[in-house]
Amino acid sequence: MTNAVRERTLEVLLVEDSPGDVRLTREAFRDANMHIRLHVVTDGVEAMTFLRQQQAHAESPRPDLILLDLNLPRMDGREVLAHIKADEVLRMIPTVILTTSESEADIISSYKLQANCYLSKPVQLDAFESLVRSINDFWLIKVKLPQRIVAG
Amino acid sequence: MNFNSRLHRALQIPPLTIAEIVASEVAEKHLAKMEGRYRGVLEAAPDAMVVVNQAGNIVLLNVQAEKQFGYHRDELVGQQVTSIIPEGFAERLIADGTRSAADALAQQIGAGIELSGRRKDGSEFPIEIMLSPLDSDDGILITAAIRNISKRKAAEKHLAQMEGRYRGLLEAAPDAMVVVNQNGAIVLLNVQAEKQFGYHRDELVGQQVVNIIPKGFAERLIADGTRSAAEALAQRIGMGIELSGRSKDGSEFPIEIMLSPLESDEGILVTAAIRNISVRKDAERHLAQMEGRYRGLLEAAPDAMVVVSQSGEIVLLNAQAESQFGYRRDELLGQQVKNIIPDGFAERLVSDALRSTADALAQQIGTGIELVGRRKDGSAFPIEIMLSPLQSPEGILVTAAIRNITARKKADALLLQKMDELNRSNEELEQFAYVASHDLQEPLRMVASYTQLLSRRYKGKLDADGDEFIAFAVDGARRMQRLIQDLLAFSRVGTKGRELIDTSSEDALDQALINLRGAIDDSGALVTHDPLPNVKADEMQLVQLFQNLLGNAIKYQNPGTPLVHIGAIRSVGGKWVFSVQDNGIGMDSKYFEKIFGMFQRLHGREEFAGTGIGLAICKKIVERHGSSITVESKIGQGSVFRFALVGSDRK
Repeated sequence: MTNAVRERTLEVLLVEDSPGDVRLTREAFRDANMHIRLHVVTDGVEAMTFLRQQQAHAESPRPDLILLDLNLPRMDGREVLAHIKADEVLRMIPTVILTTSESEADIISSYKLQANCYLSKPVQLDAFESLVRSINDFWLIKVKLPQRIVAG
Repeated sequence: MNFNSRLHRALQIPPLTIAEIVASEVAEKHLAKMEGRYRGVLEAAPDAMVVVNQAGNIVLLNVQAEKQFGYHRDELVGQQVTSIIPEGFAERLIADGTRSAADALAQQIGAGIELSGRRKDGSEFPIEIMLSPLDSDDGILITAAIRNISKRKAAEKHLAQMEGRYRGLLEAAPDAMVVVNQNGAIVLLNVQAEKQFGYHRDELVGQQVVNIIPKGFAERLIADGTRSAAEALAQRIGMGIELSGRSKDGSEFPIEIMLSPLESDEGILVTAAIRNISVRKDAERHLAQMEGRYRGLLEAAPDAMVVVSQSGEIVLLNAQAESQFGYRRDELLGQQVKNIIPDGFAERLVSDALRSTADALAQQIGTGIELVGRRKDGSAFPIEIMLSPLQSPEGILVTAAIRNITARKKADALLLQKMDELNRSNEELEQFAYVASHDLQEPLRMVASYTQLLSRRYKGKLDADGDEFIAFAVDGARRMQRLIQDLLAFSRVGTKGRELIDTSSEDALDQALINLRGAIDDSGALVTHDPLPNVKADEMQLVQLFQNLLGNAIKYQNPGTPLVHIGAIRSVGGKWVFSVQDNGIGMDSKYFEKIFGMFQRLHGREEFAGTGIGLAICKKIVERHGSSITVESKIGQGSVFRFALVGSDRK
């Protein structure tokens, strides 16, 4: 699924505390797109540090896409989402909720906080891989993103 | 004037010749002697004596006559007797054509004739005169003994009056009255006695009283060595004695007699008032019987029974009431019911301006009222009372059946507690199932995903055992995932259910068919359905219900084309009865119940995959919709599952 137009590496931030999920996602993205660099942070506080390029993440790139789990240590996904969407610059980064929760309440609150979309992790490996391919196809290939997001 | 000369003059003896005088010298002596005697007799007589000649002239009288009539002797002698006895005397002296004066007199002599005397002052008084003739030289003289009978007359009148009164009293008495003498003979009776005993008066007077009162009466008249008849009677007088009477026809009947003595010339008579008490006896027996029954009923009642008057006083209670409240009967009788039921009972007996006691009661009667009872030791216990009014001569009494409901109260409380616990435990269980299956799902997803990843990347790169082991791990993880998903679905029916709202069952079926498209396409099944109604349902659950039933219908099939039909018909009760019918393998009737249980499977995994939860979910969904699910099936001939749903107003 590589695209000649997009030769540059795509930066994706995965906010996920489960190492198993991190690896599965990494594996799935590796199969889907060779040009993706997957950055991983395991809690909400670190996610904000990464996005604001602070402390250890001062040199981190600005991601093209954020994959955000809801249930996280220290600061949960909803809070992270709220911070992102409250930020003039960060709010431009498509933020996809990727979680095991199928709760209607979580879906509603996520969209209220202006999540760009809400996805449930399928329990079957095949389905999960298929979902990751879809994310790649849509958010990283089909969708037009700003060329460079400048920090505010 | 001496007596002699007076007598002479009175007798109007004419003057005598010399010879006569000589002859009379002897006679005169005799005469004087005789006259003295006679005079003595006359004056000594207790009655007024008047001697009258044939011409009606008074020729002689005594001092009693003087007193009686209020005249001096001189004033009367020679006077007509009619001046002191105006009528009836003088006439008797007169002879008529058919009889001589002697004859006329003879008829009267000796008989007391009642006439009227007249005194000098003109007043009259009743007299009785006795006449006797006196032959004399002057012809027949009449000696009249005259008795003033004013007193006797008055006494007689009084007696007659008394007797009349007494007789009247006797006859007017409501009871039969019989007067008996000391010998036991009946001397008098009244008309009631005649009626009572069926005899005519004549048949009883003079007869022995034992004829009509065989035992117990005559004996009472008899004195013995230790007491007089009066004493014997005195013991009985005034007491009602119950005896037996016998009427003329021989029949006996219960009587009560009251005796009273009556002094009389004939000795002590006994007046007996006799009352027929058959009716009273019957009434008494009936009353005793009724009371016995009522008492029996009261005592046999399983509850404490207390009868209370309008003023709140306890008038009756049973043994259960004694034991219930810990009092002895006599400690409660006459006491206020407030002592044992402090609140809520006595108040109910009281009427107010707006309603009568009967109305006040009517509102309460028949309803069990829960109140508090208080025992003698002061301890309280919960009671339920049922009131019922009882019309009585003392006014409305209220019978209260009092039940100690301590045990029931405890049982109620326990039941509530148990139900609470059960609900909580059910909720907890559902919550547990949900949380467990949800939380189990995460690590399992890891196991399943990585075993699949292993399988995919390393198949053929390991030895044969390695491939096989990985295959088992993948299969196990996959089955466990399905199990947990079904469990989750099952627990969600209870925990995640939504309100039952108007729902198109046809839309729900369509959604289920979409969800099952893969399976339907794979099996080549032909699914048909009736037009389906709108119902009150949780749409998600209705979709799942159809999906599970259709899924089964397609799954449990023989080789060939699965045919599935979904029908809906309106039942008599207005509910819609849905049916999902297939031409599948069917089942034995012994499994009809079992298949709706959790994890119940009729087939091996190799035959038909599944967790055994699908129908349990169906059952739970249908029950949540207030209905039940049933199956009808025969091996080899397919199955029909049925459930009912309430139709919605919207069509």
